[in-house]
Amino acid sequence: MAASSKPRLSGMQKQVLALYREFLRAARSKAPEERTRIESLVSSEFHRNSSQVDRKNFLYIEYLLRRGKKQLDQLKSPDTVGLSSLNIEDSQTKRS
Amino acid sequence: MATGLVRRALSRVPSVSPAARAIIYRSHASEAEAQQVEPKAKTTSTPKTFQIYRWNPDSTQKPELKDYDIDLKECGPMVLDALIKIKNEIDPSLTFRRSCREGICGSCAMNIDGRNGLACLTKIPSGGPTMVTPLPHMFVIKDLVVDMTNFYNQYKSIEPWLKRKTPAETPAKEILQSKDDRKKLDGMYECILCACCSTSCPSYWWNPESYLGPAALLHANRWIMDSRDEYTKERLDAVNDEFKLYRCHTILNCAKACPKGLNPGMQIQNIKKLELTSS
Repeated sequence: MAASSKPRLSGMQKQVLALYREFLRAARSKAPEERTRIESLVSSEFHRNSSQVDRKNFLYIEYLLRRGKKQLDQLKSPDTVGLSSLNIEDSQTKRS
Repeated sequence: MATGLVRRALSRVPSVSPAARAIIYRSHASEAEAQQVEPKAKTTSTPKTFQIYRWNPDSTQKPELKDYDIDLKECGPMVLDALIKIKNEIDPSLTFRRSCREGICGSCAMNIDGRNGLACLTKIPSGGPTMVTPLPHMFVIKDLVVDMTNFYNQYKSIEPWLKRKTPAETPAKEILQSKDDRKKLDGMYECILCACCSTSCPSYWWNPESYLGPAALLHANRWIMDSRDEYTKERLDAVNDEFKLYRCHTILNCAKACPKGLNPGMQIQNIKKLELTSS
């Protein structure tokens, strides 16, 4: 199914895609309204990181992968009902 | 000059009768005089440099060792006192775990000058700069805080609770144990799960997911040696694995690193001995 023009994915890229798939699979097991919200949050976060984070910044990508796996474990648990996010504006901090 | 009240010194009033009490007046310096006080000796300061590992995951910078200078005269004797002083006065973004400040909780475990230990129990070494880094070969969450989930999962995997097949002799009461049997647990029950030993073991560095590590194996031995526990054979079989137990090559870094003075290597040798005789 892979197009011949696509470059081969590196191990880390495969891990990120696998994590994304796992998140969407976990979302399927929740209520329908929650499922759409989880899918939109997860896809927006992954798309934002894919454009903002430098491809060579392995340290940060591995840190995000570990954090994502922990969040996925929490989401997979049947007790977890949904997922929500909070946007904090990075306002100018005063330094004395 | 004197803005406030100045009471002149009075000589001691001799007690005339037993009922009368001696009243002593002391002279108090005025406010202006107080401000003019000259110190008897010059205030000296003992400077000390700390090189502390810093990494913020949200920033794009690479991890680095930052220098912090503090005056030891105004600081407590332990490394944790210095870290708290640096966080209070110089850099509030310095992140580290701490709780009891007396060496019983195990939160402040870190690597100080190459040796694993608790920051609250390690005295600040005299001399040149001291390097403070997080526990070696552990994933860093931020600055000196490491990810301990693998370590805790390994501890959970040995099932560190009492398991019995037969009910207790007197139901709903304590299961009795002789003094000699209780003595067998000495040197194991004191473990505070600080992870200093496991993170000092080179064998644990190279196989953190498969080798259980000295701390988990010490606790495994603690439950194997407990006379009240009836699942001894099953516990020994669960640990009797090429990777879980036999990655230990008696390097004994664990005994050197333990801040409570325990010897996990000795407990692991005990398990190996029991494995030989049981199977």
